Amino acid sequence: MTPPASATTQETLLELQDVDLIRAEIEPRAAARLRKLGFQLPEAGTVDKHRARLLASLDRRWLLHYERAQSRYGRGVTSVRARVCQGCFITLPTSAAPSGDEPLTTCESCGRILYWR
Amino acid sequence: MTTLIGPSVLDPSLCISDLKTKRRASVIHELVARAHAAGGVRNVDALCETLALRERWFGTGVGKGVAVPHARSIAVIEPRLVIGRSRRGIDWDAPDGLAVQLVLLVLSPAEASEDAHIDRVARATTLTRLHRNRARLIEAADAGAVADLLAATTS
Repeated sequence: MTPPASATTQETLLELQDVDLIRAEIEPRAAARLRKLGFQLPEAGTVDKHRARLLASLDRRWLLHYERAQSRYGRGVTSVRARVCQGCFITLPTSAAPSGDEPLTTCESCGRILYWR
Repeated sequence: MTTLIGPSVLDPSLCISDLKTKRRASVIHELVARAHAAGGVRNVDALCETLALRERWFGTGVGKGVAVPHARSIAVIEPRLVIGRSRRGIDWDAPDGLAVQLVLLVLSPAEASEDAHIDRVARATTLTRLHRNRARLIEAADAGAVADLLAATTS
């Protein structure tokens, strides 16, 4: 069983998700559009180095959840709105809601990490 | 046309007519706090961290006194455009070296497609491309007048 995500793990997972979304903007098609608008883009290596640091600091079991969902769907973490997973749009059972101050669980349907806030 | 930016362009509460702060990080925090107050953001700290990373890597000054910080983030609930204005200007490390007087913060939720997000960024950037539009936005009397100008520009 995956242990509750510590505050650090939560922060790292959220940052990792956002870094992966930034990373997608350096791919040729998106990068060409952003350059045309006047933005300067970084080398992919700069982003990848930061990503590697985040991966290295992550609890291994959460890392596996993240990478599995990320490679399958392109997003490892998704939000929950009105008890609906915003990744696969299944209505989550009441029992799936996290307890206390643990805003992260996994979706039993798609496996994405759920961010409940 | 407004769908690319959303109803926020018509909302004066998302226009800050005179930014209180003058450091780049503080300005971003001020704009994010405004988006949070309007219900568009679920995690202010995480979003500020993401925007700070982007600034460190990309730099979002697009020249001519305009910056367009933007993020597609898990910390965002709904798309928002927040506009901040600084009459004295902010050092944004822009490619042309000019101080930034208009900051347009473009936010999209992580669930949005990359194309939809870049479309929003493009609309925001295009709004300020013409000297005439920039001058009007900078000279507008208050947040309500800025919102009216944006509504007129995007209609």
